[in-house]
Amino acid sequence: MTELGTLDIRNVKKRFKVAGEAFAAIDDLSLTVEPGEFLSLVGPSGCGKSTLLRLVSGLDGDYGGEILLGGKRVSGTSLRRGLIFQEPRLFPWLNVEGNIALALENATLSAEQKRASIAEHVSLVGLRGFEKAYPRQLSGGMAQRAAIARGLVNRPALLLLDEPFGALDALTRTHMQRELEHIWKTEGITMVLVTHDVDEAIYLGDRVVVMAPRPGRISKIVDVGIGRPRDRASPAFTWLKAEVLEALGETHAS
Amino acid sequence: MNAPNVKHAPLRRPPEVAGTAAPIDLAGLDGGDGTPKVQSRGEPQTRGRRVLLGALTPALLLVLWEISSRANLVTPLILPSPETVYSAFLSLVNSGDLAANLSISIRRVVSGFAAGALLGLALGASMGLSPRFERFLRPSFLAVAQIPTLAWIPFLMILFGIGETLKIVIIAEAALVPTTLNTLDGFRNIPKAYLEVARIYKFNRRQILRKIMLPGALLPVFTGLRYGLTHAWQSLVVVELLASTEGIGYQMVMARQLFQLDVMIATMAVIGIIGFILDKLLALGEMRLSRRYGAAA
Repeated sequence: MTELGTLDIRNVKKRFKVAGEAFAAIDDLSLTVEPGEFLSLVGPSGCGKSTLLRLVSGLDGDYGGEILLGGKRVSGTSLRRGLIFQEPRLFPWLNVEGNIALALENATLSAEQKRASIAEHVSLVGLRGFEKAYPRQLSGGMAQRAAIARGLVNRPALLLLDEPFGALDALTRTHMQRELEHIWKTEGITMVLVTHDVDEAIYLGDRVVVMAPRPGRISKIVDVGIGRPRDRASPAFTWLKAEVLEALGETHAS
Repeated sequence: MNAPNVKHAPLRRPPEVAGTAAPIDLAGLDGGDGTPKVQSRGEPQTRGRRVLLGALTPALLLVLWEISSRANLVTPLILPSPETVYSAFLSLVNSGDLAANLSISIRRVVSGFAAGALLGLALGASMGLSPRFERFLRPSFLAVAQIPTLAWIPFLMILFGIGETLKIVIIAEAALVPTTLNTLDGFRNIPKAYLEVARIYKFNRRQILRKIMLPGALLPVFTGLRYGLTHAWQSLVVVELLASTEGIGYQMVMARQLFQLDVMIATMAVIGIIGFILDKLLALGEMRLSRRYGAAA
């Protein structure tokens, strides 16, 4: 895949009007994500982490400051920037294959290449044998995997994940985290993951960005710096967890 | 501007049917509880029992009717016995009268419904796709839709006379309203979540329409067509009662004028049963569609 370069978020401000009153969802936030990095964003609800993701994806616009990707200002959505939602958002009238194929509607690939790419990503997320299954026939975890395959099939250089495992049970969740890490390693995609789960943030992230609400801002950036695959029970992991939780706790207290 | 439009019930059952909603109600119950994972598949016993229970009321009425005619509670001139009605039905079938009148009526419903449904689909879809067009047309449409089908008849008689055109126009009007409103509803209620997925994958307008709007609106559109057809069938009978020299409604009027109450009741039963079957068939289609197109994952 082609490199898109560094994601550079500079002094971003985003305001929403709620009941006639403007409030700052994000206030003067700056952050740099290196190509190939896995960045986790954690924070209490209302800290603007999902808002930030939507701005980077291009779904929302109208913000202050700049979001640059490889030096170019982000405008609108792009196939180079994938977004995976908290819910699978599969279309009920299409089977797994059809749903993944939707992502390739506007890809510049031949029909043959598209077919190959779909098959490849179906097996990448472990859904081989379920190509013809409809969303209602899938479990929550399987549906989310199909959604991840859809998000990956364009080979985006940057993949944004908005609490993709939030609705899954603990076991499936752990399993999916391992698979996501595997995909990240093999595909070399830059990933930005928004999550509520501190464990997940540390397990997957090269860095964990802790955000604080009202106004949405960064309160601390924690370098993980433990080798992969990571052992959640290791002292280093536990220590990092305490550090992140402490940072989160401070944001609550303030 | 979305909020005030999400009233489902009044859309699905437009005001004009309030008085004649019997077949709609029957089917409405069925389509309604069939929405979640359909239970009829795994438990044929339950389904059989449900059908049996539903058949109990007509069976009971039939028994009451038979008893009252045997005991001569009502003079047979007003309420003929079930046997008389049945033999009237048989002679209607054998003489070919029923088939002749029915084929005329069905032709009217088909052309009226086709016209109304096509226009309804076009209006509903254009309003659903263009908020500006909707703002322009919807208030007037809703106002006009408040006029019962029956109330159109005097005015339309002056416009079109009492010929075939009048009947087709009235049937079309009856089909138009539910088709339009449900189609509009279907297009407008495409989940925002779906449209965001479309934006992520850079869909153009045509792709959004073909890949998301059309399949996403299919179920409510079908529901609209179902109500449209039921309304068309009901208004057909009304028109034929008033202004016709042939057709199933006319057959009923004639029977009343000649005091052939057995023929009249047999015709009523035929009208009811055909309406019921039409609606059942469409409800079945709706259920099948909803298995694929309904409820997002």
